[in-house]
Amino acid sequence: MRGRRKLRGICAAILCVVFAAGLFAGTVTSYSYATQFRERSNAPPSAAHLLGTDGLGRDLFARLLYGTRVSLLLAPAAALLSTLIAGIFGGFAGLAGGCSEKLILAAADLSMALPLLFVLLALRALLPLDISPILSVVATFVLLGLLGWPSSLRVVWASTKSFRNSDFLLLARATGCGRLRMIVRHLFPNLRPILFAQFWISIPVFVLTEATLSMLGLGVMEPLPSWGNLLRGLEDISAVSANPWRLAPLILLILVATCFQLVLPVQEETA
Amino acid sequence: MLAAVCLLGGLLSASLVRFAPGYGVDERELDPRLSQASVEAIRNSRKLNASLLSYYGHYLTRAVHGDFGSSEWLQRPVASLMKERFPVTLKSVVFGVLFAWVLALSISVFGFFFRESFFDVSGTVLSGLFISLPAAVVAIFAMYLRAPVSVAIAVVTFPKLFRYLRNLLTHACGQPYILAAQARGIGQTRILFCHVLPLASPALFALLGVSLSMAFGAAIPIEALCDSPGVGQLAWQAALNRDLPLIVNLTLLITLITVAANSLANVANEREL
Amino acid sequence: MTPSPLKNLALVILLAFALPARAQTGGELHFCLHGEPKTFNPILVDDEASENIRYLTGGVLIRLNRQTQALEPALATSWTISRDRRTITFHLRKGVHFSDGTPFSAEDVAYTMKLLMDPETHSPTGDAFRSGEGNMQVQTPAADLAVITFPAPIAGLERLFDQVAILSAHSPKKEMAVLGPFYVAEYKAGSYILLQKNPNYWKHDAQGHSLPYIDSVRLDIQRNRDIELLRFRRGELQLINRLDAEQFDRLQHENPAVTRNAGTGLDAEELWFNQSPAAPLPPYKKAWFGTKEFRKAISLAINRADLCRLVFAGYAKPAYGPVSPSNHFWFNASLEEPKYDPQAALRLLAQAGFRLENDTLKDRAGNRVEFTIVTNSGNAPREKMATMIQQDLSQVGIKVNVVTLDFPSLIERMTRTFDYEACILGLVNTDLDPNGQMTVWLSSGEDHQWNPSQKTPVSEWEAEIDKLMREQATAPTEEERKAKFDRVQQIVAEQQPFIYLINKDVLVAVSPSVVGASPVVLNPWAFWNAETLRLGPAPELGVQK
Repeated sequence: MRGRRKLRGICAAILCVVFAAGLFAGTVTSYSYATQFRERSNAPPSAAHLLGTDGLGRDLFARLLYGTRVSLLLAPAAALLSTLIAGIFGGFAGLAGGCSEKLILAAADLSMALPLLFVLLALRALLPLDISPILSVVATFVLLGLLGWPSSLRVVWASTKSFRNSDFLLLARATGCGRLRMIVRHLFPNLRPILFAQFWISIPVFVLTEATLSMLGLGVMEPLPSWGNLLRGLEDISAVSANPWRLAPLILLILVATCFQLVLPVQEETA
Repeated sequence: MLAAVCLLGGLLSASLVRFAPGYGVDERELDPRLSQASVEAIRNSRKLNASLLSYYGHYLTRAVHGDFGSSEWLQRPVASLMKERFPVTLKSVVFGVLFAWVLALSISVFGFFFRESFFDVSGTVLSGLFISLPAAVVAIFAMYLRAPVSVAIAVVTFPKLFRYLRNLLTHACGQPYILAAQARGIGQTRILFCHVLPLASPALFALLGVSLSMAFGAAIPIEALCDSPGVGQLAWQAALNRDLPLIVNLTLLITLITVAANSLANVANEREL
Repeated sequence: MTPSPLKNLALVILLAFALPARAQTGGELHFCLHGEPKTFNPILVDDEASENIRYLTGGVLIRLNRQTQALEPALATSWTISRDRRTITFHLRKGVHFSDGTPFSAEDVAYTMKLLMDPETHSPTGDAFRSGEGNMQVQTPAADLAVITFPAPIAGLERLFDQVAILSAHSPKKEMAVLGPFYVAEYKAGSYILLQKNPNYWKHDAQGHSLPYIDSVRLDIQRNRDIELLRFRRGELQLINRLDAEQFDRLQHENPAVTRNAGTGLDAEELWFNQSPAAPLPPYKKAWFGTKEFRKAISLAINRADLCRLVFAGYAKPAYGPVSPSNHFWFNASLEEPKYDPQAALRLLAQAGFRLENDTLKDRAGNRVEFTIVTNSGNAPREKMATMIQQDLSQVGIKVNVVTLDFPSLIERMTRTFDYEACILGLVNTDLDPNGQMTVWLSSGEDHQWNPSQKTPVSEWEAEIDKLMREQATAPTEEERKAKFDRVQQIVAEQQPFIYLINKDVLVAVSPSVVGASPVVLNPWAFWNAETLRLGPAPELGVQK
């Protein structure tokens, strides 16, 4: 167990470093993510360009840092949103039971079955054309958050349900504890680790969803970078095997997603 | 209830397509050879003349009689498209889920026998790695390694499956009667097959349902990127072409699968509780 | 097992000698289509995949030789056009049979033409023949004679027949009975199409061997170009019909023997500003887009050479105008080469009342010059071009946003709501003859993208283009038609309603096992001579990546 704790410490440290690098991208690199050095396109890594440049001569290291900022700031926000929705509705469904429980679960099934990709496609087409790329990215992630709740909801619902029948709540009820007080004082503290785990788990899920979207051409707009549209460079694998440094975004993504997984204490993972 | 959810799902996606920008647009309109009259005719053929609700009602009554309409984009009956595409997806999904289960079960069962050892760590690392790969990247690797789509689906489904399974087994092993059985000196194999698995079977059953619906969800981007001629790719193309009849049918199908899988999970859960 | 290098070398030498001699008849040619063919009915063909099938299976009266760009007799041994260019008389080949054995006669030509021109059919091929009100007449005075009379003269009439695959009037197999070199034998939707050699194909080579040489063509439906390239490298595919510039560039480095650059293509990529009065844009923006100096300045500020070099790896040329230089007859050679000169652009903008303040361009009223370029999502070269133009225009103080939309939403904005500012697309030229672009140039046309469907031309120059386009359609000689269309090209270059960016090269890959391939700039680039292609033994491609 001590080894595990050490590992968690390392993972947390890595996450902090990556977060900080993304947040202070402007000081870490002097390049902008959009400037095209057209005479130096497709350059290999060098002292001037740590990860080389892309086809238009943009510094890939700078793009990776700014992409980290976009992905790692917005994914937790989306995760927070979806966990909140899941917590409120899942908790309510588990407590209330009966008709409202059925309705909420049905709604979850329904939104799981909705063609998510199409919703995003329609959203982009509906947004005005002249909004800034950042706003459209935010809109995408908000939508991801709004649509990503069903799987968390099932977890929260199942746990609430088991708590409802548990002894300590029975006892609370028997001693005449009010409904609100019961939720705030007894149920919520017990649900908190589950909610926290769900929040933590969904962050990499949203990062990855954005990556998949970008590869289908629905993600973050150029010239703004995100991990997703940086990964689009992987589509042509033979180009990657000739320039292995192009794998950097994928490696960073795997590193961060793995850290997110490992940071979570084992016992809180129950799902 | 189930039927209501499915029908509502179909209606929702129909309205989504109908009111999304670009509905009723056909790429052929940009063909400079076409005369004004032909462009008008194409536009009219893509227009929904009735209201959405009456269209949907109409569709449902015909669907009951086995007529699922025909695709506007491919101009072929939906039923025949489904007949061609569905087996492809079904095969990938079933094999994908099977691969994922075999892998996850064997790792967690080995982990059960040799606790705190190599298998647990390797399973965690593997699931950690797989979960960190976006579905699209998995699809590209699969295509590069000439692996069938089912392998890509297995890779995407495995991590969650493994986590659930391991938790399930760990949880079961902590139960007092298992500890008692171990104290009585009953062999590990016997404990696993006579005590742990039977008790966990409703949960395992639920997990099967969940993993199936997960695999179907993963199939759309994977098939779209791998160009596998299945339902997922069809759904993606249908969405890009605003093909209302096709989308309605596909969503009904996907909703049906999701709802069925989830209610399977619910039934199993309730029995457990 | 690892083969010894010596053995490999021996094999290569053996192959090198064996290749020309062993190029036998028979075998299966295997390559990819990039989309699902929507129809096998040659009359309804509109998409590229269906068009490719039609080219391989359909028999036509007159064939446009894709290499010489000249017309050649096919099912018609000869033809004459009346002086008023309304009537065309075909003398048909005798003793020809459809793939199912049904004999071919003038009746089939009449049947096909009637079906084609039926207003209910809405055939793009048929619509190209529609030049005036009234009905077309077909007479068949003899079994090998067909006389077709149109209600009005048609410019470049005989060339249009290259697209008309003759259907059988009697065959029970309907449109699946064909006169071309191959017929559709198998089709698995979403997966592949198998074409078999048509045993009744009329054409023979100089030695009297029946054509085509190959037995079958297998067309896989594959949208993903990277998978296609991967499979080509593995030797599963024998040709790739049009590669992306980047892929071509890489393949060129790996194995120059398989890459073929047919030269500058006919299609152009272009940028245009929305000048429609119905556009929901602020009036000052409409005023910019309607200003000739503004459009010319944008054109001057775009570095086309960089676009060609970075986006297309050098396999593209700056575009002069609507006609590509490789369209030998119709290209106006006196057009000035497009220049990159930001200083001249700024001078032009200053003339039109714009001024540069702290690196931002403002108009007379002080509005910051900023607009959004839309293009279709999933098209990497267009996205890159837009991103590069963004940086180019920032040099003259203009802020550009780039938005990609999926095709239906984009078309909706272009044709219905007119809610966009600028757009990058490539309009495909299927025809060498500019008469096919009539609806693009007429101000009343639907495809007059910058300001479509005008009741009366809003500007003098558009009125002049209208007049010239109508005149070229009825001018008696091709030279006179060319003179008129040269002037149209001149006006377009002066006014820049479309800012032409680049002409892409036609890039294909052909495996050394395919003998006789000579890719051309006209569609279907790599396999236009499919009937005379032969397959040699498949040598190792030598690329095991």
